Amino acid sequence: MASTVVPFLCGGYTVIVDSLADQLARAGHEVEVLKFPFSSHHDELLEQMTALRLLDLTEHGDRLITIRFPSYLLRHPKKVVWFIHHHRGAYDLWGTRYQDIPLTPEGIRIRDSIINADRLGLSECHRIFSNSKVVAKRLKQYNSIDAEVLYPPLPQAANYHCAGYGDTVLYLNRLVHHKRQWLAIEAMRHVRTDVKLLIVGKADPDATAYVDELHALVHRHKLKDRVTIFDDWIDENRKCTLFAECLAAAYFPVEEDSYGYPSLEAHQSGKAVLTTADSGGTLELIIDGRNGLIASPEPIAIAAALDELYTNRARTQAMGEAGVARMRELGISWDHVLDRMLS
Amino acid sequence: MKILVANNCVPFVRGGAEHLADALTQKLIEFGHEAMLVRIPFRWEPPTKILDSMLACRLMRLQNVDRVIAFKFPAYYLPHDNKFLWLVHQFRQVYDLWGTPYQGMEETTENLSVRRSIIEADNTYLREARRIYTNSATTSDRLRRFNQIPSEVLYPPLLETSHFRFGEPGGYIFCAGRITTSKRQHLLVEAMRHVRTEVRLVVAGKSEAEGDAQQIEQLIRKFNLSSRVTVIDRFISEEEKATFFADSLGAAYIPFDEDSYGYVTMEAFYSGKAVITTSDSGGILQIVRHSETGYVAEPTAQSLAEAMDRLYEDRAAARTWGRAGYDLIQNMGLTWEHVIATLTAE
Repeated sequence: MASTVVPFLCGGYTVIVDSLADQLARAGHEVEVLKFPFSSHHDELLEQMTALRLLDLTEHGDRLITIRFPSYLLRHPKKVVWFIHHHRGAYDLWGTRYQDIPLTPEGIRIRDSIINADRLGLSECHRIFSNSKVVAKRLKQYNSIDAEVLYPPLPQAANYHCAGYGDTVLYLNRLVHHKRQWLAIEAMRHVRTDVKLLIVGKADPDATAYVDELHALVHRHKLKDRVTIFDDWIDENRKCTLFAECLAAAYFPVEEDSYGYPSLEAHQSGKAVLTTADSGGTLELIIDGRNGLIASPEPIAIAAALDELYTNRARTQAMGEAGVARMRELGISWDHVLDRMLS
Repeated sequence: MKILVANNCVPFVRGGAEHLADALTQKLIEFGHEAMLVRIPFRWEPPTKILDSMLACRLMRLQNVDRVIAFKFPAYYLPHDNKFLWLVHQFRQVYDLWGTPYQGMEETTENLSVRRSIIEADNTYLREARRIYTNSATTSDRLRRFNQIPSEVLYPPLLETSHFRFGEPGGYIFCAGRITTSKRQHLLVEAMRHVRTEVRLVVAGKSEAEGDAQQIEQLIRKFNLSSRVTVIDRFISEEEKATFFADSLGAAYIPFDEDSYGYVTMEAFYSGKAVITTSDSGGILQIVRHSETGYVAEPTAQSLAEAMDRLYEDRAAARTWGRAGYDLIQNMGLTWEHVIATLTAE
């Protein structure tokens, strides 16, 4: 297996790499994981892409599974890609304020080179999987490539359990602006019940100002009796306990590519997920009223949904318990992933 | 500090350098650093592929890394302005192995040019490192001799030592490690034809290639040594290994011109056992000194037989030399505290 990584930063993709390697080894395969440091700065992309192309794995292993951009440029006769996302600045974010490549003749050449390299690397693949429908759709739209959606399962599903339904809705995720923990706090100003909100997560290295802002928001609106923020990393056991005891989980990212591990962790703990209509990947998992609620991304609408979860507990529990069946329906299991990866 | 440990690799193959890289990464974390191991796949056949690997390393960009600690060619080419080397070896085929049967490449015009490029790149890029440590005096000597680059020796400690223990000298010589031609277990078996005493031999380790252990077994049958020589052709656990050492008369380790003093030698000394080695074993001779910490024989069956008989007949010497070996590695600062402090220094 091979992936590029940003050294010392964990992300969803690193969990995918490590857990897939672990599952393959458990199934009796010999697995070697190669992680290549990769800088996403536009000025350094082309040489790093060349570096991957120069490394030769053609005679090693029966199969090469590549994960993050642009590890699929590595050469192997039986190459599979589990495509997580494009270098989005060259694709869907081109022309938006998130475009990270300058609009200069050189920038345009860099973008074109990325697109050409993607075409080359992906066209060599024996199988192309994506981690969500959103990403599969982009592959179709921008690269005319058909990808099979293969949802990433939880690394350690067996660790999760349900220990009842408390009064607290759990928002567990990295603390970064586009995950919109702030929207959850804003919503708490408008709730009418005694529902509580617990925000847990580690701040991104450059997001300390955002964390201060979240604390200030709680203070300003005098919400400290009902909103708790724990801005640090928590261990696996503590996390399982929080999910086991909560009423439901909340996740309101902006246009995220995938449903996020916390949504699966909630379901595995028998808990419903409250999300918003513009959250992207969560909408592939959550069906409104069946295994969670989908609110419009406004404080008042979210507040109503939070009250609904708190008041109508039988329904909240039933939605939580429907989560595992929904995951099965989508093929979110390691058996399925391994079966497809090795096909 | 955020430290990237860089090594190269051949996928699905692991040896001493891989274990050292794993151990360093783990110990850096234990000592409170953030550490990550990067392994660059390396291919040397056909030789022009070597240039691709070298170029690939130069083209990588390291973001969010405070220090690089690199082990081997070509991983030490990774560009970083705070790079330390803990050099295990260069690409020996173009240096000390050039002109020997281990050269591994024909002297074509193309290959000669590959060789020149490697030497020139070493001369240029090795100097980028802020500090250069090597794993042995042998490696340092080569670096000075071939590239005129000075370095300091930083001996790699054993990852875990607490399970090794002293025991009274027993009746067998213990030879641990992978069974392979270059480690010459076959020579020890042949030596057993010539011993005069009741000394026995135990060879334990997974054979590298299928034929390696069979060759040894054939020798044993041929010379009718099965009551005196035991071969355990499988991976043995650390605990088993420690017990074999503790109950042995002494250890034997006779690789051909090894770069370093060898983990096996250290394991023997941690168990308080004298080590038999040969005069052409390279780095082993740095810590196995004749009549001090072991017995340095000639690389012949007769000479090795004399060494084994000597330990068998003079158990007091076997015990004394073994304990002296233990003291030697303690006094040499072969500890992880020392290594981590050195490699994370400003």
